[in-house]
Amino acid sequence: MPRPGFVLDVDKSTPPTLFWHGEGFRLEKLPPDRSRVIYAPEPHEAIDDIDGAIRASLLNPIDMDPLPSLLFPGMKLTIAFDDVSLPLPKMRRPDLRQRIIEQVLTMAADAGVDDVQLVAALALHRRMHEFELRHALGDRVYDAFEPRGLLTQHDAEDPDNLAFLGTTDQGEEIEINKRAAESDLLIYVNINLVAMDGGWKSTAVGLASYRSLRHHHNPTTMEASHSFMDQHASELHKSTWRMGKVMRDHGPKVFQIETTLNTDTFPQPFEFLSKREWEWNAKDRALFLGTAKSVAKLPARTARKIFQGIEAPHQMTSIQCGEVEAVHKVTTQNVYDQQLVEVEGQTDILTMGIPYICPYNVHSIMNPILVMCTGLGYFFNLYRGKPLVREGGVVILTHPTTNEFHPVHHPSYIDFFEEVLADTRDPHVMSQKWEKQYAEDDWYRHLYRTTNAYHGVHPFYMWYWGSHAMKHVGKVIIVGGDAATVRKLGFTPASTMNDAFEIASDVVGRSPTITHIKTPPLMIADVK
Amino acid sequence: MKALRVSRSVRKLGMARIASAISPVTATKLGPLEFTSVDQPELPGPGWHRVHTRLAGICGSDLSLVEGHASLYFEDWVSFPFVPGHEVVGELDDGTRVILEPVLGHEARGFAPPFEGAAPGDGDDYAHLATGPLEPGIQTGFCCSTGGGWAPEFVAHESQLHRIDDDMPDERAVLVEPFAGGIHAALLAAPVVAARQDPTHPAIVAVLGAGTMGLAAIAGLRRYVPDVRIIAGARYPHQRQLAKEFGADVVVAPDELTRAVRRAAGCHMVGDHLSSGAHVTIDAVGTSATVADCLRITRPRGRVVLLGMPADVTLDLTGLWHRETELKGAYTYGTEHLPDGRTVRTFDLAIETANELRAERLLSATYPLSDHVDAIAHAATAGRRGAVKIAFDMRKEDT
Amino acid sequence: MVDRNLQRAQRAAGVAEDAVRRATMPLRNFGFPYRAPTVPRGVEVPPEVSGLGAHYDTEWARRPLASSVRTAMVEGPVRLAARVLASPEIVGTDRLADLAALEDPPAVIFAPNHHSHLDTGLMIRSVPSAWRHKLVVAAAADYFFDKKWKAALSALSLNAIPIDRELTGRKSSDLIKRLVDDGYSLVIYPEGGRSPDGWGQDFKGGAAYLSARTGAPVVPVFIDGTGAIFGKGMKRPKPGRTRVVFGAPLRSEDGESTRHFNSRIEAAVTTLGDEAITDFWTARQRAATGTSPALTGPDHTGWRRDWALAERRKLGTAGLRRRQQRRWPDLG
Repeated sequence: MPRPGFVLDVDKSTPPTLFWHGEGFRLEKLPPDRSRVIYAPEPHEAIDDIDGAIRASLLNPIDMDPLPSLLFPGMKLTIAFDDVSLPLPKMRRPDLRQRIIEQVLTMAADAGVDDVQLVAALALHRRMHEFELRHALGDRVYDAFEPRGLLTQHDAEDPDNLAFLGTTDQGEEIEINKRAAESDLLIYVNINLVAMDGGWKSTAVGLASYRSLRHHHNPTTMEASHSFMDQHASELHKSTWRMGKVMRDHGPKVFQIETTLNTDTFPQPFEFLSKREWEWNAKDRALFLGTAKSVAKLPARTARKIFQGIEAPHQMTSIQCGEVEAVHKVTTQNVYDQQLVEVEGQTDILTMGIPYICPYNVHSIMNPILVMCTGLGYFFNLYRGKPLVREGGVVILTHPTTNEFHPVHHPSYIDFFEEVLADTRDPHVMSQKWEKQYAEDDWYRHLYRTTNAYHGVHPFYMWYWGSHAMKHVGKVIIVGGDAATVRKLGFTPASTMNDAFEIASDVVGRSPTITHIKTPPLMIADVK
Repeated sequence: MKALRVSRSVRKLGMARIASAISPVTATKLGPLEFTSVDQPELPGPGWHRVHTRLAGICGSDLSLVEGHASLYFEDWVSFPFVPGHEVVGELDDGTRVILEPVLGHEARGFAPPFEGAAPGDGDDYAHLATGPLEPGIQTGFCCSTGGGWAPEFVAHESQLHRIDDDMPDERAVLVEPFAGGIHAALLAAPVVAARQDPTHPAIVAVLGAGTMGLAAIAGLRRYVPDVRIIAGARYPHQRQLAKEFGADVVVAPDELTRAVRRAAGCHMVGDHLSSGAHVTIDAVGTSATVADCLRITRPRGRVVLLGMPADVTLDLTGLWHRETELKGAYTYGTEHLPDGRTVRTFDLAIETANELRAERLLSATYPLSDHVDAIAHAATAGRRGAVKIAFDMRKEDT
Repeated sequence: MVDRNLQRAQRAAGVAEDAVRRATMPLRNFGFPYRAPTVPRGVEVPPEVSGLGAHYDTEWARRPLASSVRTAMVEGPVRLAARVLASPEIVGTDRLADLAALEDPPAVIFAPNHHSHLDTGLMIRSVPSAWRHKLVVAAAADYFFDKKWKAALSALSLNAIPIDRELTGRKSSDLIKRLVDDGYSLVIYPEGGRSPDGWGQDFKGGAAYLSARTGAPVVPVFIDGTGAIFGKGMKRPKPGRTRVVFGAPLRSEDGESTRHFNSRIEAAVTTLGDEAITDFWTARQRAATGTSPALTGPDHTGWRRDWALAERRKLGTAGLRRRQQRRWPDLG
């Protein structure tokens, strides 16, 4: 029986807590009697007969007819799917997308459908490498569709492949992938790792262009999203839902397939990472020491390769398909069931260990911008109700934060770090002064369209992701990071956790209360 | 008198070169420069004056000479043994203070000037530098007949002297000669800037290196070349600070310069070359690596000005001919034709600039002649030690 | 001109013969009981029931010691031999991932098409590790069990049980059922025997029948390329490339007749065969419209049938030849 999430009040007998530190770990002792650690709920049981569950769901959608009856010969069918930013870490083969798409294609073949295209819903993310597509879709689907040119990756800068659908009543423009817009049926295959994804976000954001995205991917909207995990308190989602309404009226018929995963995040040798420290047995401790020490000695490149190669054993816990909003309601509830932890009140300090991976550096390097985004954008926002840290409090992150950027995946990030951050760190100022030229730079556009680079404007979105946190919090400290790089981000570097508390005392006094959110595995703090 | 003198000793030059790999101190001690008794130079004739040195700067070319890195090219253009030192502010017998324009021009060397009002550096025939009544010597500081700045006194021709009045301090005056060199290089950018394809946007001029010469080039660009966006690459924080103050628009560390130029030009990067780039790039460093960098970031049919003095370099010139890039040498100064139509001597522009920008800020330390080992070591490691210009101070206490 | 090597060999054999004769000279005088008896005239000798062929008892091969030896052989020599001869490419095992991931994977019945004796060794090598070491193979009695050493080797290395195609004995099917109930997975060829002409034969109901009786799911498998390597009638194997495609497990539905289930299995293998030469989508589409190319080949006879076979082989893995050694003529 999986145990629910748990808030531990740290006392003198509490062993040190494991903090992620990029490709490595630290054990930190939090001050007793005023610290607490939030542990994620244990993973729920995965479904036994996954293929059977998929089939049953496709034949019994919510608020829509069974899929076979929606398919007819001569129709234009498009199947869009989540890109490489999900799930994290990557699943073991066969990926859920492979399973679902193979069954959908079998039904399509049975119904005599010829015109099928698969589209990776990248929005402004980078194109996927071949091995990543093969991992997500399986070799059969890849080898059948790619050579025919029927497997495409959404190109948000291709004027010939974008369709303008209309504007919402607030003037937000919706422009999406043309093939998807002109299909008789658009099937979306989603993996809902976090409550933020799914619903209209899949199509209205995943298949959109800069013209659409700038209406909600901006500092004002993000500052007003409290948090991204709570659809009803998030301006981002309200905007996306408004766009969904326009899509419903003027866009293609959408058959949404959403799945949830349990939080069984770490395979055998790394299992101890999700275990509570006082439950580590001798084997776990030995593995921890062995891993921590050997990884510390490896060159960064090798360590990254090892960690990025981790395949998580997480598996499907639910699948629902049919009408977008009805499906998403069920999905969100399932995600909450797995991930919610009840937490009482806020504290002065929030600590978090930043792991080696976030949605934007899969098979890549976590550059300083992404460190900030993972900490202040994602982990800070893993709450419902109120943030875990009080207004004006302090956030402490642990990550090596080296001045390293992946030149192929993140070219515009380097320039953003050198040019934009040297000028301003204020999201509003930079969106006025710098965003346009990065969004329209010809070279970034060329790299986004033809190689595997994130769009020129993407680093800005990463920065905006943390705008609510930056406004809310009094100080941000990074422990164990490269000092010059941390300062360039506008944060304060510290060598040890104690030094960090010392620095924080300027803002929160000498005896602050501390919360540590021990994630991954993922969770959402339901803060009362 | 006691002065610093360079004698022709192949052995010593060789040892200095090898020792320069260890440290500048070792190189100086083993090298051809020595603090010794030298005879006072005789006045070669009418029009010549005796100058009593007040401050004499140490320049990059002096350093390469002392460390044995100087090119063999100059063998025939200098006469050993000579007293180095060409960045000088001194005092005439009658007490007037003067700045030296060290280039030995036609008049000084006993020849007719090439045209009316020519400055010492002008003309397209250099024969006068190696022939004539004086021993061969391109400048005061490389000629055994004239003496040089690293001595208590030397001789100079009227055409080489610029008299200054009391409100220009010595410390500022000693920077005038290097400033003139930088400004001259900056003005070599003007024709290309003026002739550019798109006059509606400012021209992009990149400057590599922010030592004295680089800073002077930046100042010259900002003051005398209209419509430029100056992007400077400087290694040390104090240099970056000064570059910004002297008028650079964007100042970055050297390894970020390529990206900064790309951003300013808004072009692509093809391999490690920019598809377009700066209109003019001024190399104020002068190594194989920096010249190669300049060729990479200059746009097709742009100009690379070699202000730093590279000697033997190995370069792949394919990019140069493919992009029809111009490689232009820059040497000292002379008469300039400004974009606004004026015709002036570079030295006068340098004096103007030195006064306005308070050039004495760049003089970081002075040493007596007897302390030449420390002085040269300091000059050789100036950047790392937060310094820009080092000079010898020969003033008596009472002045 | 007689081959010089042959001459030498003959001479050597002659020398050896003389040596042996000289050595055995003394034994010539010994008769029965040292040597086998001769039979007097007029007496009937009862026929000896040969313990070979379909009657070979393979129980010993499933005892623990033999099993561990077999594990070592499968992972070692069998694997190596399969790679050298057949360079197999194994795909589709992700369709079995769910079953394999269970705590106690159930026994399954693998039903491949059959073109060569190589198929058996290849199956052993390709079956996912969840089943590989508790696998029984139904092998042709007249090839694998006709000699004592062959029988022993087959039983030990392949865990083979003899199936006589002439007489489909009750005994064999009882044995198989007992083994499947004991948790052994089975490799059985629904076509019965190897293809005589490179095209497949109709599927007989053996696999369907056993699945219905034991409840074990049937995994259709398509093996491509073995026919060109060591097909029926070839004396020596010719190394090449093969591909083994696993399909999704099939179970008989409630009230389904063996014949119907069998035709479903055959259709599944046919679709896999289509997938092997084209791709997943084409195979699915053709399966849906009933236009998948049949494994039994076209209705032609004679040379047109062979011609079509060559065309088909060019599309499959056999068409990818291993890089051949180019022999350059010696130009002196």
